[in-house]
Amino acid sequence: MTRLLHIAVKDMKILLRDKAAFLIMLGMPLVLIFILGSALSGVGESENVDIPVAIVSVDAGDQGAPFAEAIADVEELQAVFNIEVLDDVELVRSKVEKGDLTAVLVIPVGFTEALAAGEPIELEVLQDPGSEMTAGIWVGVARAAAANLSAGQIVRITVENTLARAGIPQSPVTFQQGDTGGDIAFDAVSVKQLDVEPEKQVEMIDYYAAGQTGLFLLFGAMFGAFGFARERRERTFARILASPATTMDLVGGKSLGILGVACAQFLVLYLGTTLLFGVDWGPTPSGILLVGFAEAWAATGLAMTLSVLGKTERAIGGIGPTVIMLFAALGGSMIPVDMMPAWMLPLQSVSPVYWAMGAFLDLMRGEAFSVVLMPVGILLGIGAVLFTFGLWRLRYE
Amino acid sequence: MTDIVQVRGLVKRFGELVAVDNVEFTIAEGETFGLLGPNGAGKTTTISMISCLLEPTEGEIIVDGHSIRNEQTAVKRTLGVVPQEIALYPMLSAAENLAFWGRMYGLSGTGLKKAVDEALELAGLADRSKERIEKYSGGMRRRINIAAGILHKPKVLLMDEPTVGIDPQSRNHILETVKNLNSSGMTVLYTSHYMEEVEYLCDRIAIMDHGKIIAMGTLNELRDVVGGMDVISVIVGEVSDGIITAVNAIEGVEGVNRANGVIEVLTPSSSSVLGRLVATLESEGAHVTSVTVIEPNLESVFLRLTGKSLRD
Repeated sequence: MTRLLHIAVKDMKILLRDKAAFLIMLGMPLVLIFILGSALSGVGESENVDIPVAIVSVDAGDQGAPFAEAIADVEELQAVFNIEVLDDVELVRSKVEKGDLTAVLVIPVGFTEALAAGEPIELEVLQDPGSEMTAGIWVGVARAAAANLSAGQIVRITVENTLARAGIPQSPVTFQQGDTGGDIAFDAVSVKQLDVEPEKQVEMIDYYAAGQTGLFLLFGAMFGAFGFARERRERTFARILASPATTMDLVGGKSLGILGVACAQFLVLYLGTTLLFGVDWGPTPSGILLVGFAEAWAATGLAMTLSVLGKTERAIGGIGPTVIMLFAALGGSMIPVDMMPAWMLPLQSVSPVYWAMGAFLDLMRGEAFSVVLMPVGILLGIGAVLFTFGLWRLRYE
Repeated sequence: MTDIVQVRGLVKRFGELVAVDNVEFTIAEGETFGLLGPNGAGKTTTISMISCLLEPTEGEIIVDGHSIRNEQTAVKRTLGVVPQEIALYPMLSAAENLAFWGRMYGLSGTGLKKAVDEALELAGLADRSKERIEKYSGGMRRRINIAAGILHKPKVLLMDEPTVGIDPQSRNHILETVKNLNSSGMTVLYTSHYMEEVEYLCDRIAIMDHGKIIAMGTLNELRDVVGGMDVISVIVGEVSDGIITAVNAIEGVEGVNRANGVIEVLTPSSSSVLGRLVATLESEGAHVTSVTVIEPNLESVFLRLTGKSLRD
């Protein structure tokens, strides 16, 4: 066991002295995170001049839809809002969660009946708390609409009662543009303001911190595989095996060395991106560390596999980056996975980067620790499969 | 003295290739035993089997009473191995390398430090112990390569061509080191294709060719194989088949070998053959630029037994 540790320490010492490896494993990811995060920081942020909102009527009667259309047709509102009129509450709720809509005014079931009966009506506004100010404007609009509707309701009921008492036939009442304007207040219709629990928006710098960390941990694996090839070439493997050290000491020591370096690399990237670029890894550092460890283990397994796929450092230097970049591309470290074609989706599941990034991003969005357990399990499984394959095919000569 | 290494009926096959073919020898405790042969003779394969790196196809090896078949750890503890390659870590210093290899043999603490210091002294590199190996010359690396094999004070030291590709000064240092280690009681198995080294160092010598031991004994016993014959080495430029046939026909010539413009002639009487040899070469159109007469040595033994030079 002590020989295993000595081999691991020796490997870590050698790798830390390798300037090229140091640069690629730590320098490049930090630089790329900074460049990509800074350059793309504006992408995906909403414009304040055209706030996306919607009105949904789920009223089965004949008054809900005209009321919604009446609000949507107000020119002053159109100048500020991009208003959609929809009829699917779940759809709009999803859009708010994703950040596609800032707020939604919901005209409830029974709106027409309540209006006719003069009963209180409760309009709902779903809003993204992350866009509190812009959503607040839409709530204001809803309140104004509610106030005018209340006023209109009083007028209509009064007129209807008066006409009824005079014995004059009544004509149908519909909403016209202008019914929603004005400043009359009445409590018959109220607005209930509801906060939707949306996914926290991840900044570009955060996204690329997760992506590049996931990617460059695998490059650490490539240097680990180089170590195997170098020891074969320089015959230090044979020399170790000619000593009382066992093959378990040798493989275990080298693997532990790679795992240790990968964990150290992850910690430096985690702390470095936090301190240098203010990356927000979310409120669950224990989850982040667990995912980092799981990907470091997957990288260790990848190192074992690469070390048998290529017998020399040159061969590994050709195969390694190809495999790693493929994993990175499939995993979303270059472009978000939801921009990829559907046929690619099954391929993503073999990429350690995909699972690591997904878990990192979930934690960055504020998800609970438990959300990473499945990806961590999958990462450990990928690592175990790659490690077993490498061990099976490993040659010491 | 007891035999600390016993090799019996050793065979190693790689597919159709028989790399080691029924090799048998013993090494007495405190002896320096040489394995001499050209590249590809099977020396390294034999050493690899003794050091438990290769499993024999057939045969048995006993080291200090332990079989390599089922007591490998005990065998490995007894051995020190100096491989042909410089099996060190270039990014680590000499002291770090030696400490690592010492730990592989179970050394630790003050025992390890003392062993490292002694090994550095032996290598003559104590003052440069903190420098990375990558900055060392080839000869210095070779010396550390040997130091790494002996710092745990093994009973038996296996040295596989330890002087390949180094300067004369380092070579002399290494040969003296081996002499001193042997004087201190260490048993040494030394392989080389340099006959001078084997002649200088070894008490007994086995000559290998094509996986077989073709002769074995002390230096004097081996010299007797050639019956006191000399080797006349002639540099002639181009050597045709006609020249070889003509030289073979000279009375008193027992064997002829040619390699890279050199003809080596085995003869019991160089003085009587020399004149006729030069005349024959001139008459065959060969341009003689140099003639050297070599007293009986391992080179002539090898030439006698195989019909070719050790350098072939």
